[in-house]
Amino acid sequence: MRKSQTGWWFIAPATLHLLVFAFVPVAYAAYVSLFRWDILRDERTFVGLDQYQRLMADQAFWGSMGQTFKYALMAVPGGLVAALLVALAVSQPLKGMAWFRTLFYIPAVSSGVAIAMLWIYVYLPERGLINTMLMGLGQPSIDFLNESGWALPALAFMSVWVGLGPRMIIYVAGLMSLPVTVYEAASLDGASGWQKFWRMTMPLLAPTHLFVLVTSTIGAFQTFTPVYMMTNGRPMGSTNLVGYHIYVTAWENFNVSAASAQSFVLLFLLGLVSLAQFRMMRRRLEGYDAS
Amino acid sequence: MEGLPTSSALSRRAVLAAGAALALAGCGPRLVGARTVRYANWGSPGDDSDAMRLVRGLYEDFELSTGVDLRVENIPGSQEYLRKVLLSYVAKSEPDVITLDASSAAIFIENGVLQDLMPFVNGANGVLLEEFFPNVVEIAKRGDALYALPVDFNPVLVYYNRAMFAAAGVPEPRDGWTFEDFRATARALTKGEQYGFEFANWMPGWIMWLWNHGGDVLSPDGRRAQGYLDAEPCVEAVQFLHDLVERDKVAPRLSQAASMGVDLFANARSAMKVSGHWELVGLASAPKVNLDEVGVVSFPTRLENPITVAYEAGLAMGRHARNLEDAWEFIRFFTSEATQMEYQRTGIAICARQAVAEKMATTEVKQAFVRAARTARVPWGARVPKYDQVERIGQDMMDRVMQHGTKPAEALRSAAQQIDEVFRDA
Repeated sequence: MRKSQTGWWFIAPATLHLLVFAFVPVAYAAYVSLFRWDILRDERTFVGLDQYQRLMADQAFWGSMGQTFKYALMAVPGGLVAALLVALAVSQPLKGMAWFRTLFYIPAVSSGVAIAMLWIYVYLPERGLINTMLMGLGQPSIDFLNESGWALPALAFMSVWVGLGPRMIIYVAGLMSLPVTVYEAASLDGASGWQKFWRMTMPLLAPTHLFVLVTSTIGAFQTFTPVYMMTNGRPMGSTNLVGYHIYVTAWENFNVSAASAQSFVLLFLLGLVSLAQFRMMRRRLEGYDAS
Repeated sequence: MEGLPTSSALSRRAVLAAGAALALAGCGPRLVGARTVRYANWGSPGDDSDAMRLVRGLYEDFELSTGVDLRVENIPGSQEYLRKVLLSYVAKSEPDVITLDASSAAIFIENGVLQDLMPFVNGANGVLLEEFFPNVVEIAKRGDALYALPVDFNPVLVYYNRAMFAAAGVPEPRDGWTFEDFRATARALTKGEQYGFEFANWMPGWIMWLWNHGGDVLSPDGRRAQGYLDAEPCVEAVQFLHDLVERDKVAPRLSQAASMGVDLFANARSAMKVSGHWELVGLASAPKVNLDEVGVVSFPTRLENPITVAYEAGLAMGRHARNLEDAWEFIRFFTSEATQMEYQRTGIAICARQAVAEKMATTEVKQAFVRAARTARVPWGARVPKYDQVERIGQDMMDRVMQHGTKPAEALRSAAQQIDEVFRDA
């Protein structure tokens, strides 16, 4: 009894923190979404699910959701492939690999704002790093952040770079946990390097793929800092990702009720996407088991 | 031993007391005394420019002459400023004195964020409103109430490089010129890597093209955009701007201008641009333009008289201001003739006091700004609380036309619809 009481005391601070800073705000946001609430005039009217109904016809919100899907489709697979390749490289038993892992991880511990500032310079027309290289190759300069066809891929590319470190570390952990004996047996059976990678490493890493896929997708849907710092949703709404759109609704348009409703719709859709990803991976795992 | 604290208990108390003192003195908020005025202004807290040093000197003068402790809260970024001040109002802790931008004045005024200053203006320690430009005072007026005392303002005009005009043998433009005059002038000045004009997609800078073409963004009561923004005069004006870039090629595309990586006008790469009085500050140290060779002229127009805008800044008092008398004392001090004679040396804007504006207008260019100031229009943001959303939609509309090749009529129709949806939701 005393033991369990001690355990409760230990988890009390974290539980309290979670309650106060996560559960209570989420519950309060749900409550706010049921009102038409003018925070500047402090006038509120209970409207039930009216905010959600209006949201169904809100073109700007669904437009931002569409852009976010596009962004996720660019950033997540790209991020997974890049992280896996780097993880494979830094898992080689070579000298100095620990340094490389550290180097790749540095962006993850840097400030999001500082990173966004850095990438503004990388993408600068004419004088930016990428344009200097392009012009060196005789190509015209591209205004990456102000051309509607380029701005979203530019943000997605940056997110691949930023997320590389954490994803790589997870993949490295996954690779290290793979059973060596299976590989030895495969070598004895004459399996090539590619066969070992494709038929053994990839399936054995399935739980890691799933974890990275789900967390990266959630992260892509929560993207805010680069949009706020680099594009403000422009040009032509091409980078108006849903996280930023919710922020603008709440704190630029001061419509906190609509923003709360938008957050819950996003939560619901993310839940669906994550569920679909779980099911898809489980089916694939079962397929591997059967084969 | 009983009754006497042990050494360990003593040291523990000492540490706790020291910690509390540190928290109060250094880490916690400074305690606000009776004679303290909190003042919110734009700008970076770390700004150490000459202009900022001059302003800080004025703040010190105020503190020395009144004994009031002035706590200046500089907030960088106009959107961030707006948000922070409004949210501090929601928390009933807004600063006593607030710098109010005419472009976003309506959201403050219409939501009751500010105090009516008229009791102070007419009080024993008041000011004479007749000494200010009447159209500028009007910006923060609602009936008999006045919600901000104007400090200064910026009309927006067409800048031109006289040396480039002379070199091309093109006569300098004069007030009352037409859209076709402008096109012909820009054409004559475009050659090689030099452009006649530089267009920027900044709605506060291009709305005057619509006005001078007989159009407007909103209905006169500011409640709808359909029938106005999508009407023929606006479509023609936007088509005109589009043609300058795409058909006449007298102005670079937005992406081309950005890729050049320099201020085209300041580098003598474009002969004309649209800007406010603030432009003169940068031009004073422009690499390839001599300030003496810069001229300004009103917008080309098809109306009887050209129209410009008054982007004004004033001082207002928060509704929950605690120290009303001292807050008013600061507003009075800062808008006084003596202070303004010093403050306007920064050269960013035109003083809202007519006498000071005239005294400071020492060059032809500055005199042209003062002339334009007398008829400058109240910006929509001073009348329509949701106008920042209108500007976002307008900017997107222009991007569609300029970068995506959308027909102006279609882009304007869609923008007008979106704006009316914003108003309907409100």
